[in-house]
Amino acid sequence: MKPGKGKRAGGAKDGTQGVGIYVYCIIRCPEVMKSFGKVGFGGEEVYTIEHKDFAPVVSNAIMKEYNVDEEDIEVHKAVVSEVMKEHTVLPVAYGMVFKNKKLLAVSMKAGNKAMKKAIKSVDNKVELGVKVVLPKDARDLDGKADQCKSDFVEALNCIAAETKPLKLFSDRLILNSSFLVDSGRVDDFSNAVGKLAEEYSVLKVQYSGPWPPYNFVDIQILGNKRGGFR
Amino acid sequence: MLLIDDLLTRAVGFSIPGLDMFWLFEQVLYFAHKEMYDLIKDKLKENRMLYELGEMTGEEYMKSNSLLVRQLKLAEKARDMNLSVRTDILASQ
Repeated sequence: MKPGKGKRAGGAKDGTQGVGIYVYCIIRCPEVMKSFGKVGFGGEEVYTIEHKDFAPVVSNAIMKEYNVDEEDIEVHKAVVSEVMKEHTVLPVAYGMVFKNKKLLAVSMKAGNKAMKKAIKSVDNKVELGVKVVLPKDARDLDGKADQCKSDFVEALNCIAAETKPLKLFSDRLILNSSFLVDSGRVDDFSNAVGKLAEEYSVLKVQYSGPWPPYNFVDIQILGNKRGGFR
Repeated sequence: MLLIDDLLTRAVGFSIPGLDMFWLFEQVLYFAHKEMYDLIKDKLKENRMLYELGEMTGEEYMKSNSLLVRQLKLAEKARDMNLSVRTDILASQ
């Protein structure tokens, strides 16, 4: 779920910062309202709010612009990781804070259909990331970089339910992909990555996860951009 | 005063060279800002990756990260500048 126009928080016009509701992720509505403990921003309690079939996982938080700040991002990530232990999550972009429950409910209503569609595709699955990096000062691995890339993609695609190639943001990257993997097949996937890393020991392989399926859920609510699930 | 916006005139098939030039400059500027923003974001990611791979010390990482974050904030401001302000100002006269 990504913000529509005017959804990201900013301070009030008079410069004061009120308290809003920060959304970490969305889960299927549990039978009873759930608390995940005081692990939110500023030690606030993280809890669910019921909304039809879904429940946003939220905490009270200051209405402000949530900029790139490693500590804040860590709080967001830690909460989502905690929720992921028991639930399939629909991730929400970092920095989504709503002024009140009513505005949150409007967004939830607008995105309900898209969320139903999205949760089906990511149910019981997790995202795993694989980056393959050339060693320092090596440019093309004697022309074997393409072969290596296709070996990785071929072997890992067999296990993953879905793959998403991501931007090669560094000259040293030869592969940067996210894989949507069934929770029961994570070990198979890890073994395959380990095997490939051994085979290409000259390369550096960065394997990360499990993450919520950030790269496989793209819901734009009340925004101009059309794409992903609607 | 009714001012016909350059975008509108282009949409109906004719253009006013002066306004067209402004529009073109604005577009060039917008894409330059966007490219700069994307480039800094890539550098931030690369920085993090190198740290995680053990090719940078914690101190080196923190130093270059805070510099890049500062640059990103500036680039964000430049990218999000509302370029239609020019026409709004003219229209309000």
